[in-house]
Amino acid sequence: MAQDAIAVEGLVYSYGDLVAVDHISFKVAEGEILGFLGPNGVGKTTTVKMLTGQLKPKGGKAHLLGMDVARDAGKVRGEIGVCFEQTNLYEQMTALENLDLFARLFGISGFDANALLKRVGLAGREKDRVEGYSKGMKQRLMVARSLVNRPRILFLDEPTAGLDPTSAEAIRSIILEERARGATVFLTTHDMMEADKLSDRVAFMNKGKIVALDTPHNLKQQYGKRALKAKVQTQAGELRDREVVLDTPETPELVHKLFAGERVVTIHSEEATLEDIFIKITGRGLEG
Amino acid sequence: MNLRAIRALVAKDFTLFFRNRFFALITLLGLVVYVALYFVMPGSVDGTLDIGLYAPAWSPAPDDIQQKGLDIHVAESEDDLKDGVVAHDYVAGVVLPGDLVEKLASGQNPQIDLYFASDTPEETKEAVASLMRELIYVQTGQPLAVDFSTQVLPGPDMAGQQIPPRDRLRPLFAVLLIVFETYGLATLVTEEIEHRTIQALLVTPVTVKDLFAAKGITGITLAFGQGALFMALVGGLNQQPVIVILALLLAALLVTGIGFLIASLAKDMMSVLAWGVLALVILVIPSMGTMFPGVITEWVKVIPSYYVVDTVDRVASYGSGWPDIWQNLLILLAFDMAFLLIGMVALRRRFQ
Repeated sequence: MAQDAIAVEGLVYSYGDLVAVDHISFKVAEGEILGFLGPNGVGKTTTVKMLTGQLKPKGGKAHLLGMDVARDAGKVRGEIGVCFEQTNLYEQMTALENLDLFARLFGISGFDANALLKRVGLAGREKDRVEGYSKGMKQRLMVARSLVNRPRILFLDEPTAGLDPTSAEAIRSIILEERARGATVFLTTHDMMEADKLSDRVAFMNKGKIVALDTPHNLKQQYGKRALKAKVQTQAGELRDREVVLDTPETPELVHKLFAGERVVTIHSEEATLEDIFIKITGRGLEG
Repeated sequence: MNLRAIRALVAKDFTLFFRNRFFALITLLGLVVYVALYFVMPGSVDGTLDIGLYAPAWSPAPDDIQQKGLDIHVAESEDDLKDGVVAHDYVAGVVLPGDLVEKLASGQNPQIDLYFASDTPEETKEAVASLMRELIYVQTGQPLAVDFSTQVLPGPDMAGQQIPPRDRLRPLFAVLLIVFETYGLATLVTEEIEHRTIQALLVTPVTVKDLFAAKGITGITLAFGQGALFMALVGGLNQQPVIVILALLLAALLVTGIGFLIASLAKDMMSVLAWGVLALVILVIPSMGTMFPGVITEWVKVIPSYYVVDTVDRVASYGSGWPDIWQNLLILLAFDMAFLLIGMVALRRRFQ
């Protein structure tokens, strides 16, 4: 049985009277991608900060790779990679210098920065100062920096936010490659499509608590409805929408009636999105 | 402590410092300009008082009245004398009337005209008037009615040890070079916080202690390096080099502590500038005491840089040794410890 890469039990953090993280517990297996979802201000970043040793929990315990984050902070930090939401690179240094610096901080000898830069699509620009990079290039360099020590756990905070489709796709490919290498990925994102596509499981966070944690498929099964969406043409030539809810006892008969009684122009299946499910569970949207 | 990480962070800080055009330029320019200014300033003290004299009916031979430190130039006419004063050929022009001796002999007060340039200080005018009174007594053979008794009060007697202007400026330049680094170091730290690179560092094996050590080494090296190089170039290490170097090292520690404190107080780069200028102005004040002796009073001793300036000045200019300055170094060390402690505690809160 695979060891838990992340094991969190009753984790608490508060800023004064405001409880940001309220007794959350969860586990992430090695090699798993966990999508951590929720609107701004629900405690996602505070959770990541506690797991990466930037904040000391006010209560509860967090273990990464079997090590207590509070007690073995130094050892834990040697095994993780963190990609922040906001760019925090040394902009007056080149990409090569940025990566070499972090390799030295991790105590890695013989580090090949060029290979890593090539992997994130920055070959040819490695000797340019970062201040001249586009947002997408900076974000790719941020991801590269988080991979310098070949981390066993990778924390990615909104890694594709605001990026062009090419850069976003490049980063998604790297996430999947890292998972294939055996790394555990803790992915914080607003992008439901991305979470759905990449995550083995997703956790919904609301008001400091985890309100749902399961695979996207199971969540959709549990909370969403699948349906057939059709466009039909009336005798007067007008187009009308029709919907048949799937997975009910009446579904076969309704589908039969649709094709027998109407002139179907287009038809496709539709299932609930993670955002629909989040709204259903919490009563609020993800952009709040 | 992770020495390998500290070395990497220090190298990074130096790279960033010298890639900042402002700091690179100011550092280089400051050093060059201060060294150039030092060598442009007079290297010796001219203690001679030049006096112009016009005496139409009585012509004392200049050699008779030349005294140590006094240079008498006899003018051909009163107009020549006035021209010489205006042209600053003399500090003062003296006109002795033709009936000087007769009037003195008959007990009357002769009128002696003294000419000064408009920018002559009052004390110089009084000194020249006193000098002329004595000179006339000497020349006319009439003794003074009173005797003067001179006593020297206990204390450092620096008489006869006039310091050339450029050597008086030496502590000021050294302190300016060192103190400027409070701003440089505070900027480096504030940039880390403002650009959130500190977060990236603190999720690696680097600890807050490593960060402080690295920033401290950077600040001390930058400040001490410039101060020591300047003193070496201008001959400030010719006497008691160990004491001067130790004083500069303690000064560098001081600016590192103040730099940490500024970084903890500053919200952004503009407030670093504001706090930095304030620190610079306050820390430079004690240097004024060496340039203009007498203008600084006891209160200046509350400014920690006083102990750097006083030590450097006394050692480099007057050859003082350990017995004269050990207390200065001890007080400076106490200031260093206090500022470093306060700075690190305050900054640690910002890091978190």
